[in-house]
Amino acid sequence: MSRRRTIDASYDHINNDGKEKRGVNKKAVNQHLTIEGDKERFKELLRRRLTECGWRDEIRILCRDAIRDKGVHNVSVDDIVEEVTPVGRARVPDSVKKELLQKIKSYLYEKATK
Amino acid sequence: MCDIGCPHLQELKSTKGVELYRIIFSSFVAASSSVARKRKAIHCFCFVCKSIDYRLHSCLQCVYFGCYKGHHIQDHAKHKKHYLAVELSHGNILCVACGTYVYDDEFLNVAHELMVRTGHKLGMGALYRPWEPSAKVLELLRKNPRRRKIVPGVAIGLRGLINLGNTCFMNCIVQALTHTPLLRDHFLTEEHVCRPEDQAGCLVCEVSTLFQEFYSGNKGPLTLHRLLHMIWTHARHLAGYEQQDAHEFFIATLDVLHRHCKASAPALPENENSQPDNPHQCTCIIDTIFTGGLQSDVVCQACNGVSTTIDPFWDISLDLGTSARGGNNVGDEGSFNSVGSDLSLSGDSKQANNGPTTLIDCLERFTRAEHLGSSAKIKCNNCQSYQESTKQLTMKKLPVVASFHLKRFEHSSRLHKKISTYISFPEQLDMTPFMSSNRNNRNLLNSRTSSSSSSSSSSDSAGDWISSGSGPLSLSDNRYSLFAVINHLGTLDAGHYTAYVRQQNNHWFKCDDHMITRANLQEVLDSEGYLLFYHKKLMEFQ
Ligand SMILES: [Zn+2]
Ligand SMILES: [Zn+2]
Ligand SMILES: [Zn+2]
Ligand SMILES: [Zn+2]
Ligand SMILES: [Zn+2]
Ligand SMILES: [Zn+2]
Repeated sequence: MSRRRTIDASYDHINNDGKEKRGVNKKAVNQHLTIEGDKERFKELLRRRLTECGWRDEIRILCRDAIRDKGVHNVSVDDIVEEVTPVGRARVPDSVKKELLQKIKSYLYEKATK
Repeated sequence: MCDIGCPHLQELKSTKGVELYRIIFSSFVAASSSVARKRKAIHCFCFVCKSIDYRLHSCLQCVYFGCYKGHHIQDHAKHKKHYLAVELSHGNILCVACGTYVYDDEFLNVAHELMVRTGHKLGMGALYRPWEPSAKVLELLRKNPRRRKIVPGVAIGLRGLINLGNTCFMNCIVQALTHTPLLRDHFLTEEHVCRPEDQAGCLVCEVSTLFQEFYSGNKGPLTLHRLLHMIWTHARHLAGYEQQDAHEFFIATLDVLHRHCKASAPALPENENSQPDNPHQCTCIIDTIFTGGLQSDVVCQACNGVSTTIDPFWDISLDLGTSARGGNNVGDEGSFNSVGSDLSLSGDSKQANNGPTTLIDCLERFTRAEHLGSSAKIKCNNCQSYQESTKQLTMKKLPVVASFHLKRFEHSSRLHKKISTYISFPEQLDMTPFMSSNRNNRNLLNSRTSSSSSSSSSSDSAGDWISSGSGPLSLSDNRYSLFAVINHLGTLDAGHYTAYVRQQNNHWFKCDDHMITRANLQEVLDSEGYLLFYHKKLMEFQ
């Protein structure tokens, strides 16, 4: 079964960080997740966790400050994205990253061994 | 950023309407059917650089995919003069000519509708959307520029309650209720609509007033004689000035409030009458917050047939004794056989004969399969004969507020005594292990009907998503945090009730009638505990 093999490969990739395999596998995993609808589920889970831990509110405030600093009429989405993204990434709590990683791993493992 | 669209979007809307946006959104942003998802998985990448992320957009005029970071969607827009594009992970509309995202109510409504639909189809409930104030609320905020800011250290919402002579049982329950986050929000936003005939003595209005008083900013203690009087007239068995049981008062209060709210709550639409999610079939605020569903599975020992019933509950009473089983005193006799290790949780090495020492122990006992002895034979619906059976209780549906009653008072014909055993309880509680889907999915699955999660006529392939409540991708969140504890001090006949309540998520206060003092979490967790109130950490969004 070709689908099974793709998933096996993707799972391997999580453990060894082979650079050139990465692109292919990322695409395969993405396709699989999208088809099953699980990508939306993971996204929703992440969204809920980030809201719950206050990250969302923090980022909102950062965006508001960025808009205020530059002035409502001189600011573009690109400016805000550029300014807020690095801080935003850094402020995602480790517990959230860990939970998501754990869940994605066991999800892929489950699919690969089924 | 512009919230009235832009000339380009307005022009597109007036010539082509929102239909193409709807198609792009339902195919590539929130793909709800499996066909659409497959299409999205295969076709969604930048036509130039093949990338799947980098903020992929689709041209709103010709469905051309291009990424934003590589400037490929912008190039397309300028080259073809197709200035509008849809960002594919959130569905926002970019106008390349104006150089920014543009918003228009009609498009936003389409996006919202499709998001909700996809959320339901994927078994996630409604997708989370941030709270937006309604026009009415905005108007009010504008007209009343004075704000009261809730800052840490300000003791708003804390009022002592005068003891009217042994009324500490009522005071502590009122403290717990006024500090129930969702109930507070309900009463402070004045969502209760009073019927004209009730206005003189409406209990719900009285409770609303009480909540307003609590959060008015005044600090003096309150007297509850009007409330007490009203509850006496509605629950006669509680009348009189002698000490009452706080648990009994709690349940009576919920019942009285439920009966009053029911009358003013909108009736359920016809087709939702058999909704399994709402065992009480009542939409009042009390049932919305406190009602859960308890599943009882009785398995016939002769034919393994299962009969399942689901009953609503407002609280869970937990036995603390050594031999009695959790709350369900169906077949007594002390018959105590564990029904094979497959039904009990792994790592459950505790001796069945030792009394529980933690809340988790109590809940495990409560949800353990129990053998009903030969003296309690039940007629099996499957094999039509009286047989010995096992019975197991599990949580089918969790309430927003989980109230646990530790049965510290033992009343039998001869004996009244208080059990002061130390039972530890956690600040954070995960109810997942006690859910029906988790607890008994091993040998009962075959006979249980799969729950239908969506009522819409879904043309999607079956087996798309059966919400199982377990597995790595379960979105059901069963975590709770402690927000109130009621303690009974002293002996059975000379006792006193106090309450610990949580304020602003992490500040604890001890309420002893008119006295309110600061407390800390450790002190709360070290207390004996009679009634424990947990609030769901994450609300399911409706
Ligand atoms: Zn185009
Ligand atoms: Zn590109
Ligand atoms: Zn424009
Ligand atoms: Zn009223
Ligand atoms: Zn009700
Ligand atoms: Zn039978």
